[in-house]
Amino acid sequence: MSARKKVVVPLNRVEGDLKVHLEYDGNKIYDAFSAGTMYRGFENIMKERGPLDGLVITPRICGICTTSHLYAAAKALDMISQAVVPDNATRVRNITLIAEQLQNDVRHHTMQFMVDATNPVYENAPFYEEAIERYTPIRGSSIVSAIQSTKRVLEIVSILGGQWPHSSFMVPGGVVSVPGANDIMQCKYVLRRFKSWYEKQILGCTCEEWNQVQSARDLEDWLESSPSRYSSDLGFYLRFGREAGLDRLGKGTENFISYGFLDMPRKTGVKSLGSTGYYFPAGFVSSGMVRQVNQHEIKEDISHSWFTNDETELHPYEGVTIPYATGSEGRRYSWAKAPRYDGHPAETGPLAQMMALQHPLFTDMVNQSAPSVFSRQLARIVRPALTISVMDQWLDEIAETDEPFFTPYNDIKNGQGHGMVEAPRGSLGHWVIIEDGRIKRYQVISPTTWNASPRDANGQLGPWERALAGTAIKNPNAPIEVDHIVRSFDPCLVCTVHCADLRWEV
Amino acid sequence: MSLNLFWLQCGGCGGDTWSLFNASSPNVVDFLEAQDINVLWHPSLSVQSHEEHRETIRRVTEGRERLDVLCVEGSVIRGPGGTGMYDDFDGSPKKDLVYALAAQAKHIVAVGTCASFGGIGADGEIEATGLQFHKHEPGGFLGEDFVSGGGRPVINIPGCPCHCDVIIGTLSAIAQGTPPELGDYNMPLEWFGVMVHQGCTRNEYHEYRVEEKRMGEKGCLFFYLGCHGPLVHGVCNKLLWNGRSSKTRVGVPCFGCTRPDFPQLYPFFETRNIEGIPLELPEGMDRAHYMAYKGMAAAAAPARLKKRKTRI
Ligand code: SF4
Ligand code: SF4
Repeated sequence: MSARKKVVVPLNRVEGDLKVHLEYDGNKIYDAFSAGTMYRGFENIMKERGPLDGLVITPRICGICTTSHLYAAAKALDMISQAVVPDNATRVRNITLIAEQLQNDVRHHTMQFMVDATNPVYENAPFYEEAIERYTPIRGSSIVSAIQSTKRVLEIVSILGGQWPHSSFMVPGGVVSVPGANDIMQCKYVLRRFKSWYEKQILGCTCEEWNQVQSARDLEDWLESSPSRYSSDLGFYLRFGREAGLDRLGKGTENFISYGFLDMPRKTGVKSLGSTGYYFPAGFVSSGMVRQVNQHEIKEDISHSWFTNDETELHPYEGVTIPYATGSEGRRYSWAKAPRYDGHPAETGPLAQMMALQHPLFTDMVNQSAPSVFSRQLARIVRPALTISVMDQWLDEIAETDEPFFTPYNDIKNGQGHGMVEAPRGSLGHWVIIEDGRIKRYQVISPTTWNASPRDANGQLGPWERALAGTAIKNPNAPIEVDHIVRSFDPCLVCTVHCADLRWEV
Repeated sequence: MSLNLFWLQCGGCGGDTWSLFNASSPNVVDFLEAQDINVLWHPSLSVQSHEEHRETIRRVTEGRERLDVLCVEGSVIRGPGGTGMYDDFDGSPKKDLVYALAAQAKHIVAVGTCASFGGIGADGEIEATGLQFHKHEPGGFLGEDFVSGGGRPVINIPGCPCHCDVIIGTLSAIAQGTPPELGDYNMPLEWFGVMVHQGCTRNEYHEYRVEEKRMGEKGCLFFYLGCHGPLVHGVCNKLLWNGRSSKTRVGVPCFGCTRPDFPQLYPFFETRNIEGIPLELPEGMDRAHYMAYKGMAAAAAPARLKKRKTRI
């Protein structure tokens, strides 16, 4: 026992403040506790407000997945008001959601995840000089290039929705904007420019060529098959990942959840990748089996969280948020609640989407060596290859039809509804109850709440706690493995709504 | 001599940082280089280890490292019960760090509405406040009389988020030794001397009182849908967002996110009114004149506006 010690590892380059508490035994992490360090109380801010106020307030939960919160808020209100959302509105909503995701995936990879490759612990690694050249903050060649291109793709959100971040153009019944032919044309130009940048800088080949990679074996061949692939950001990631052993790090819970990504318009030429009314299917994946997602099965446990309530496990329609701000109680250590699907913790995000989709490459990788930092981050950086063309097609479909973008909705006086979407970091849900024209209850489960979940009443660890526990650390004074593992989940603590940490007393 | 800048994130959503990355001319990279800005710390841009970060903070707070500009994003969180522990840094309240850094800074910029006036959490249980204002009231976290090392109050650049060109413009002015002239609520006149309404493509509808009654119609959003364009200062329709558009241009009412009381406590998407006339009238207007003028304007509205064919 004498070799055991507790350390706190704070992480920067995440949205919001994040600390992980680790317990070491020699060079091995034997236990991990994740805790955000800020509580903003959004759910309580929403109470008693006007019925549409979620459309304005909730995008402000997070400055980087602001459009996703808007989408979830609008969908909850669609349900309550029984609004009919015209196809064109669904297209506009989807296109802006993808644009937000494109910038997130690229920015997270280049400005957050890959910066760790420049850490001095890698000084003697073969990739170090190239890492410095590419990923030194502010100056690195890949970073400069990513900053330039990601801001441009966001122009699409602005053309269709007024601004990014934080607009409120999605409303129950559709969207308020009525883009004209030239607006659509402009979006197409912006997208075309982004696509060619993404293919040249990130992939080193076309999206179509990348999508031919169907197995771990194909991936090996892909890297070596041309100099442009080898020297692209993806090529560098593969080389770095191998050297740094990312494929042996951060296994996680091995359960995955995805609520389904991109609602399919009723009439569209886009072919769904699954069969559930979404472009990327919804699914809860456990032991390799994919199940339908039923929102009734989602509950939040607060047995280890700083909240006061008698019940420990509640569905979000019943959920309450009462910060436990006095005294201390041994086992509570985080202000993230613990979401569970049918009692199980689950990882969410791009890899979960790929698993729900039964994407051959990712299924193969996960079957061969369990989920890992390597596959998780790979899923994120190649996800745009599956969405850019769809976006383009929906833009064409808007240009070709003369259908409305909005259908008037019924007055919102009473009712309950939920909006479930896939944000850049994974499954996001808003559960809303309106009474007498006021918001009675508003509960949000953000993707990071799933991933950063603390333990539950049964002692099950959350996904990134699970991914950390058992990890061997090369240098306990500079545990770079912890950065890689946690960052592969693209953590966003501002997003985690109810998430704070008063003190650590486990 | 390069300018040392420290960017502190407090109780916010990070939106101002992501807005900053939207800047085009110059973009963030060119801007930092052109103004020779040395980023001592920015949570999304810095690579320092936690130990190095702490050391930077020690050097600055002990006066061993110059702090030319302190940017604060997000509100100062004081809850629960004044302890500040809803937002902690290294086990102590982040608000203490705000205080220690502010005491050393030559210039302080409150970036965004949360840092300026308290913003999203100002009425909530987290007891959030702005650096030198709490909503409309002077004071806030640092107190009404506070002046930074350069002898000036906190420069407030509100907006949710603050527009990227305002962030870069303000920092550029400071870097060049000509900090901006401040108006009401210590907001730079350069960008907060105009109303959001100025430059809105729906101005002609407004002029003739051609109003949108329900969402998704075409017209001005002032009478029914809660637009704050003529009531608040901001550059949304002058500089546009992402170089492209604005909320009101696409039919989203302006919610007044640069205002000290944002987010308002009454519902969004509806206009509070007295006998059909908005409770709050365009800044500087008196009620009697306004009613007479609007009645005439509506009667005089040209047919082309009433039967509009365009998509705005
Ligand atoms: S002012 Fe708005 S954009 Fe800025 S931190 Fe606050 S909520 Fe986010
Ligand atoms: S929509 Fe708002 S900003 Fe535009 S003209 Fe009307 S009142 Fe002014």
